[in-house]
Amino acid sequence: MSHLAYVIENDHITAVVTELVLRKNLRRGEVQHFANGKVAFNQLLLKAKENAGIPDLILLDLNMPVMDGWEFLDAFMKLPIAKQVCVFVLTSSIHPDDREKAKRYNIVKGFFSKPLDENSVAWMQQFVQLAGASTRAKRLYTAQ
Amino acid sequence: MLNLLEQHPELAASITCNPVVYDFLQNSLTDGLWYWNLLQPAEGWVNAAFWQTLGYAPDQVPADPAAWRACIDPTDLAAAWQRAEACAQDSSQEFDLVLRCTHHEGSSAWLRCRGVVLRGNGSSTPWLMGALFDVTKEKYKEASAQEVATHYSSILSNQSVYIVKTDPQGNYTYVNDFFYERFGCERDIIGTSSLLSIVEEDRPKCLEVVIQCFQAPEVPHQVILRKPYRDGSVKSNHWEFKGILGEGGKLTEILCVGYDVTLLLENLQRAQHLLDVTSQQNIRLQNFAYIISHNIRSHSANLTSLVQLLSEAKGKEQKTMFMQMLATSTEQLADTIVNLNDIVTINNNVSKPKASRALKAEIDKTLDALSVLIRQHHITVEVAVPPALTVTVVPAYLDSILLNLISNAVKYRALDRPAFIRLQAQATPEGVVLTVADNGLGIDTVRYRAKLFGMYKTFHDNEDARGVGLFITKNQVEAMQGTISVDSEVGVGSTFTIQFHENP
Repeated sequence: MSHLAYVIENDHITAVVTELVLRKNLRRGEVQHFANGKVAFNQLLLKAKENAGIPDLILLDLNMPVMDGWEFLDAFMKLPIAKQVCVFVLTSSIHPDDREKAKRYNIVKGFFSKPLDENSVAWMQQFVQLAGASTRAKRLYTAQ
Repeated sequence: MLNLLEQHPELAASITCNPVVYDFLQNSLTDGLWYWNLLQPAEGWVNAAFWQTLGYAPDQVPADPAAWRACIDPTDLAAAWQRAEACAQDSSQEFDLVLRCTHHEGSSAWLRCRGVVLRGNGSSTPWLMGALFDVTKEKYKEASAQEVATHYSSILSNQSVYIVKTDPQGNYTYVNDFFYERFGCERDIIGTSSLLSIVEEDRPKCLEVVIQCFQAPEVPHQVILRKPYRDGSVKSNHWEFKGILGEGGKLTEILCVGYDVTLLLENLQRAQHLLDVTSQQNIRLQNFAYIISHNIRSHSANLTSLVQLLSEAKGKEQKTMFMQMLATSTEQLADTIVNLNDIVTINNNVSKPKASRALKAEIDKTLDALSVLIRQHHITVEVAVPPALTVTVVPAYLDSILLNLISNAVKYRALDRPAFIRLQAQATPEGVVLTVADNGLGIDTVRYRAKLFGMYKTFHDNEDARGVGLFITKNQVEAMQGTISVDSEVGVGSTFTIQFHENP
């Protein structure tokens, strides 16, 4: 089955590079890019209403204009989405506070330093598959 | 009523005629008798009790009948002579004085002498009849009491501690010399209110401690209070208040012991200030280190990835695209390094020379530089700055600050209504305050207050926003010991306020 990934990144070049690396390494994956948290959130709001086209994983930059990574996380958690979405922080920050803060968000499954590489993508993919299995299991359990 | 001798004439006869009675009286009632010729001071007589009082055994009594004179202090003897003469002239005068005598062992002995001048009938020689009483012990007791009193008063008045007592209402009942010297002023402070002598802001604190004294008497309660010194300056004193209980367990007075801690507090404040500055600098340095690493890393990450992608690229088209991105990335890295360098320069040049500049002229210069943009966007500019108003600044920083704030106001102008920019300045005791107000897009200060002056923070979806302007402005203002703040509302406008530091 195919996975949908969001890349939320304001730097144009980083976004292009990240998309390329993801496309190359994510099996049967589709990638969508958003220039900041606000744009991505608006899209998610729409998709949550439709209850379709919700991403499996989100690669999130922290420093962005308009709505930064933290604000996006706060807003995202309030969305009524049943599907388990794995958020991975992808940043240039090496500030220890950022890493600590990210740990406090349950939905954040990993904290990666730029640039994105194959190993990181493989790691994310594993997480996404596990999450998918758990979502399916939950659905099965509720159906019974 | 008849007196004793009139009632008992036989006693009067005994006293005068019976030597047993006479000796008993003179030896048991007095410590000595003295009989002095008031016409010839050398002539006189003392009895055996006198010599005994001065420590002479009966066999040691000098043979010379005038030897007694040597035992009495000459000054005191002269005083006694004067006094006796006065008594001889005027019988209403009393003869009662203390004579300092020399004891057989050489020490001093004090004899109180009560005397009566006896005139013979008619013109016969007047004599002084003196009864002597040994008051040496009393004299010593008095001296030692005096010594103790002096001792304590010297402690109470010593050079560094205030000692004050008040009644339960807080009125002074006692202050030591040191306190009086410093806070007494000209008027007598006894009976005046101690509370009112404290600076107003500290009075509630003082009252609170007084209440504690009532609640827990006989225990010291500590407080630091400020009080105007006689030269007008305000001194901080550390006090220990103690409620003293009188009979019946009622609080009768409050004892206050205090000392000056002004210097201590000033040093503490200075140390605290230094600590604040250093920790602030430390935070800035650390943030700066993270910013540098973040910004340089983000470009280096791009470069690493692009080189990787370039090496794996298939086809000319892809290669050209990656090459272009590489070029952009290196340019951005170069820009970042220039920006960082600007900031490092500000932070390093704390002692950059300051000069006086006319604020109005500098504003006009900046507006001139931006005149094309301002006209193009039909922005109304109002400048309410007195032409004579000067600020002491690093000139290059002032230029940069004005350019940044005004160009921001232009960049983020209102698009749906006539835009304006208002610049106002006025002198205050702390220094000149400049405000730059616009009716532009505004910033959500509730959301962004913490980030507003941060580096690489942009708040509008603006392509050319670098996110360094306000960061640099803040650094430049602070490098000149000034402050900058903002008041803003989305869709209404922004007002930036700069407080320039007064001292050059």
